[in-house]
Amino acid sequence: MRWWRRRLVGVMACALPAGATTPGIDPDRCAELIERLRCEAPLLIRFSLHASVAVFLLSPLVTVGRPCPASWLSAENLDRHTARMARHPSYLLRQAMLMIKTVAGLCWGADPAVRRALGMEPYPAETGEWRRM
Amino acid sequence: MAADVIAPRAHLSFQTGAPVELDVDYVVVGSGAGGAAAAATLARSGRTVCLCERGPWRDPEHYPATVYGAMRDLWADWGTLFARGRSMIPILQASCVGGTTVINSAIVVRTPPTVLAEWAELGLGEVFSETAMGAEQDELERELGVTQMKGRQLMEHSEALLRALRSRDLEGHAIHRNARDCIGSGQCLQGCREGAKTSTNLCWVPEVATRGGTVLSCASVARVLIERGRAVGVSGRFVHPAPARGQRRGGSRFVVRARRGVLVAASATGSAPLLERSGLRLPALGRGWRGQPGAAMLGVYPHEVHMERGTTQGAASLAFSSERFKLESLALPLELLVARVGGAGVDYARALEQAPRMAMWVAAVRAEAQGTVRAGRLGPPVVRYAPTRRDTERLRQGLGRLARLHFDAGAEKVLPGIHGLPGELGPDELTALDSAPVDNRCYTWVLSHLFGGCVMGNDPTRSVVAEDLHVRGVRRLHVVDAACLPTTLGVNPQHTIMAVARIVAGRIANEEGTT
Repeated sequence: MRWWRRRLVGVMACALPAGATTPGIDPDRCAELIERLRCEAPLLIRFSLHASVAVFLLSPLVTVGRPCPASWLSAENLDRHTARMARHPSYLLRQAMLMIKTVAGLCWGADPAVRRALGMEPYPAETGEWRRM
Repeated sequence: MAADVIAPRAHLSFQTGAPVELDVDYVVVGSGAGGAAAAATLARSGRTVCLCERGPWRDPEHYPATVYGAMRDLWADWGTLFARGRSMIPILQASCVGGTTVINSAIVVRTPPTVLAEWAELGLGEVFSETAMGAEQDELERELGVTQMKGRQLMEHSEALLRALRSRDLEGHAIHRNARDCIGSGQCLQGCREGAKTSTNLCWVPEVATRGGTVLSCASVARVLIERGRAVGVSGRFVHPAPARGQRRGGSRFVVRARRGVLVAASATGSAPLLERSGLRLPALGRGWRGQPGAAMLGVYPHEVHMERGTTQGAASLAFSSERFKLESLALPLELLVARVGGAGVDYARALEQAPRMAMWVAAVRAEAQGTVRAGRLGPPVVRYAPTRRDTERLRQGLGRLARLHFDAGAEKVLPGIHGLPGELGPDELTALDSAPVDNRCYTWVLSHLFGGCVMGNDPTRSVVAEDLHVRGVRRLHVVDAACLPTTLGVNPQHTIMAVARIVAGRIANEEGTT
């Protein structure tokens, strides 16, 4: 399972790498988010995420013409695969990438380092509390 | 002045152990715009009311700040409800005390006279006349402290849209909102932590409790109890909002017996499935489901816009109502902007670096499409709905208008987010938008204004409720939310839902029994 979790984080990092002035997705925060999703999120979200990552890993043949898993691609081809999957004619592939980007965005967009780089206020802490009485 | 949080006298949250039983005059299912409005009206008339809400009761200081927190704590089913058709369109609703009024942009728009005229043509003009709706909406605006946004509340993101509309001599206005002292924290979608938004969990729900009623939160109603053709209460089970791993989600069962009647306001995705689970078999149940789907056009400006500053939605235009779409500014939190900006990988990361210079405006279509909503076998409802080709053409037209308005306001480029078009378009490339594909899978739709499933009307074969909103074939059972609206509105529906619910609840309260 650790191997799979590393793959999940790796795919998120491909979707949202560092820009010239902004950090990319933080692998530690991403791993933490995936663990929180495992504990808290409904089955549909977890299933969709894992299925989308599996589609990402298995689809280089239809995006860059390489009959191998995405994890075997060179850095250049991997980025090409990522970009082409997001704009692929197949709705299924595009939706799989949208799911990956959505989860990556939950991690990246709340990262204080990213928000600082973009001139945005960091988020305050959350209690998750509700009225019990 | 922000709304005061009134301590309720009777609130029951998640319970385990022995079943909970209550006897009241009326039970209301759902605490959003329709349910809370109806419950407060009944409580004011001296009736004892029990308000049942599936989600937990959170106060503003406990609202989440992040989108992840909002999905977990406020959004219904973590935002995983989709309209299934040719494409998957996400449906944004809340599941908490206050319902979607907690996470919407608190936009207050009166029911357009054209819509009331359409209702009158359907034979529904007696109860919901222009005079009755107008008087009710006057009162609602006073009660909820509706104000027009201005100054720091708008900020550049919305001001730019107003400027662009003015430059083309098009109607445009700062939005009226039930948010008295909005400081423009840009957190509407995650719930207003400042407590400025007068969502129903801050006004009418506590009022129900202080007037001797009972609020059941984390209380999922499974069915309406019907005996000898008469609604006599509801039953369900408490559901833990955040169970620890290994902890059971389900808690005690509850039964609320209602001496005078049951009012269902479980939303356009919840009311029809609840009646279906309760054994009703009306031909129109779950049909006539409608929406106002929309999509966004991003503009990238030479200067910083910081759309996260200012109110989430500050400006709107109804200039194209006759063409069945409206335009609005809408600020997305950074986490969601990631999903909206097209592409992935290195070039995409560079595009996201422009986030502080982006402004997002949306076109929402008064769609013609109709779908269905049914009770799902696994819990969440199943919505089948697909915008028609004409709806998609209207959206394309709206997005084209928005792109041109962005350039009028000084944008360098726009990011259309339409599959089949380049990721960025300059001012000389806008003709590409006019020939964009008319395939709803090519657009990033979102559905937030929902109607139908328990449509009102005079024809028993095509409606679930009559004009007084009583459910056909069952005495003392009413539907008082967006599910009963017979048409789309072309504007934000909260104000209409509240007015309709209050008018009907007032009539119910004034009757000795109910229909």
